Amino acid sequence: MRKRCFEVMIAGLVILLASGIALAQQKFKIGYANPLTGAFGRDGNLVKDAYNFWADLVNSKGGIEVRGKKYPIELIVIDDKSIAAENAKFTEKLITEDKVDLILGGFGSDSVFAGSAVAEKYKYPLISGAASSNKLFERGFKYYFSTLGKATEEVRGCVDIIQILSPKPKTGAILGSDILFTALAAEGYKKYAVQNGIEIIHSELFPITLQDYNSMLLKVKRKNPDALFVGSHLMVAMKTIKAMKEIDFTPKMVTFSYGPTVPDFIKNLGKDVEYVIAASEWAPNLPYQDPLFGTAKQFNENYFKKYGRHPDYVEAASAAGAYAMQVAIEKLGITPPVKEEGRVRLMEELRRQDLMTFYGVVRFGADGANEAHPPVAVQIQNGRLVNVFPKEAAEATPWYPMKPWKER
Amino acid sequence: MLLFLQSLLNGILLGGIYASYSAGFSLIFGVMGVVNIFHGEMVMLGAFITYWMFTLFHIDPFLTIPFSALSLFIFGYLVQRFVINRVVEAPPMISYILTFGFHLIIAYTALWVWTADFRTVTTGYSGLNADIGGIIIPYARFVTFVLALIVVAGLYLLLNRSEVGRAIQATAQDKEMARLMGVNIHRIYAITFGMGAAITGIAGSMLSTYFIVFPQMGLPYTIIAFCVVVLGGMGYIPGALWGGMILGVVQSLTATYLSAGLSGAFTFILLFIMLIVRPAGIVGKGIVE
Repeated sequence: MRKRCFEVMIAGLVILLASGIALAQQKFKIGYANPLTGAFGRDGNLVKDAYNFWADLVNSKGGIEVRGKKYPIELIVIDDKSIAAENAKFTEKLITEDKVDLILGGFGSDSVFAGSAVAEKYKYPLISGAASSNKLFERGFKYYFSTLGKATEEVRGCVDIIQILSPKPKTGAILGSDILFTALAAEGYKKYAVQNGIEIIHSELFPITLQDYNSMLLKVKRKNPDALFVGSHLMVAMKTIKAMKEIDFTPKMVTFSYGPTVPDFIKNLGKDVEYVIAASEWAPNLPYQDPLFGTAKQFNENYFKKYGRHPDYVEAASAAGAYAMQVAIEKLGITPPVKEEGRVRLMEELRRQDLMTFYGVVRFGADGANEAHPPVAVQIQNGRLVNVFPKEAAEATPWYPMKPWKER
Repeated sequence: MLLFLQSLLNGILLGGIYASYSAGFSLIFGVMGVVNIFHGEMVMLGAFITYWMFTLFHIDPFLTIPFSALSLFIFGYLVQRFVINRVVEAPPMISYILTFGFHLIIAYTALWVWTADFRTVTTGYSGLNADIGGIIIPYARFVTFVLALIVVAGLYLLLNRSEVGRAIQATAQDKEMARLMGVNIHRIYAITFGMGAAITGIAGSMLSTYFIVFPQMGLPYTIIAFCVVVLGGMGYIPGALWGGMILGVVQSLTATYLSAGLSGAFTFILLFIMLIVRPAGIVGKGIVE
């Protein structure tokens, strides 16, 4: 009898243990490789904040709700040190060793370009909110999606804004660092400048590692362009402004493809960044909303409460991407652990999706780019970013032309 | 013509910046034969000392120079005294590995403590410049240039006119003989490393006013310092000025007249030619021949 009792106890223990393991698996393990250090460390940390914001919000409500049951989210992030090859390696590690259910996209076109190729191989849908180089969308991938538009399109607002400026700039110079995203931004500038009748009198790509910008900008200054268009990341944008001031170069307008919307830009450079125009894909005053984040304005306020700073547009785009994936999972009734069949269905659902979010409509085109997103131009006025273009979303009229450094 | 003069001036000022943070590299190599791979991290530490003193206590960046010099001296002295001295007589590869290890430790500790944020020291006079007949001279870079001259001249005098300087020179020339003459060479090494670190910290403080400060900024500075010192002559202190000027002017003229993309290529072509044709540096006084 005693022996029997012992056997029952052991069996009970095994069942308890097994159910414990089963219970432990009742969550969505979502991983992403992302630059947390290196050249894009600062930008990559923004994406991390955005995903944490989404996951914490969903987890505070119990998790992702599938068929009446809630499954919490566990996020796993691996630092790719801003090296694209490392991103691919770690994405593979997340899939094969950590056995994550789902994958998200990190920051930067080079990293995401490499990581998404691995995701495609293993049939993991990957939505990125911080990579937009055209090449990402020209690979015929089925599992790659982006809540941003294409890089060449992103800068459109920065050039089209000249339609409402007076006197209209007639000549322009284009600079860009020689990496995927910024080189494409330079290409986009060229395309839209030509459409707007601007004569491009100088165009140059330079190494992202260039330490001193003064001599390069000196050459541009001598050509005296009305507008300076820069294909940039945060550091490039910061270095450009510092050099412009040092060599006393004030064109009528200066625009950046990325950088000024990162809070550090204004915080670090203070009054020197007044008049700067930047490409953006989102602003908190736009009339969008969804059931999770609320309105764009509420997203902005809650983000501020959590991190003590306002979100950048890539953070909004990243959070919206994660949300789009969540909505698709809920609709399909997929539960963890997510198998290949579930991921294929998820990819198909994302391709059909037409979703209103706080960030705007998310609707992926055949190439995976968000085709429902209008580019916005923002300007720094009195120490804050304000929407200045297109007119229907504008909070203020653009300040133009730039005031010379010596008169500020 | 004005463009040429302006580009030349930019190059000379840039050369001053290069010289300011390369002199310490040259000193350390000259005396101990250590190619210090964490040299750029000492620039970073100097820049961060200035950044924090400026941000937290609103102390003018140039007034923070004594603090960064002293802190870096102590840091350099201790690192040499307790760590590098143990391997200084081993084959050079050991000290490369050790200083590479320090590079990683310092950069990643800084990253952990200060995060990857890009920071700048923006003062009321940041970016201000003098306009002399159409030639623009940025004040902060000009001050760095002058200070680089003072540092190199001061170091030169110290090495040639003081007791410690003579002991350092004697150790550099023949450490066994110096040891026999009663010189405590490990102490001299520690003082030398401290001095090298201090002048590098000063350069870090100065350049924080016009360059971006972040934990992983170090490595490119080490690479440039290496190029400057090869051009000027390894271990020959005034050579840092020569090397800095040549590099600065070549890079500036290339960026202005050809393309910024080629300035990096020209740097390494120059380095390559020098190593083959004139390994003792442009004035031929380096200790590698």
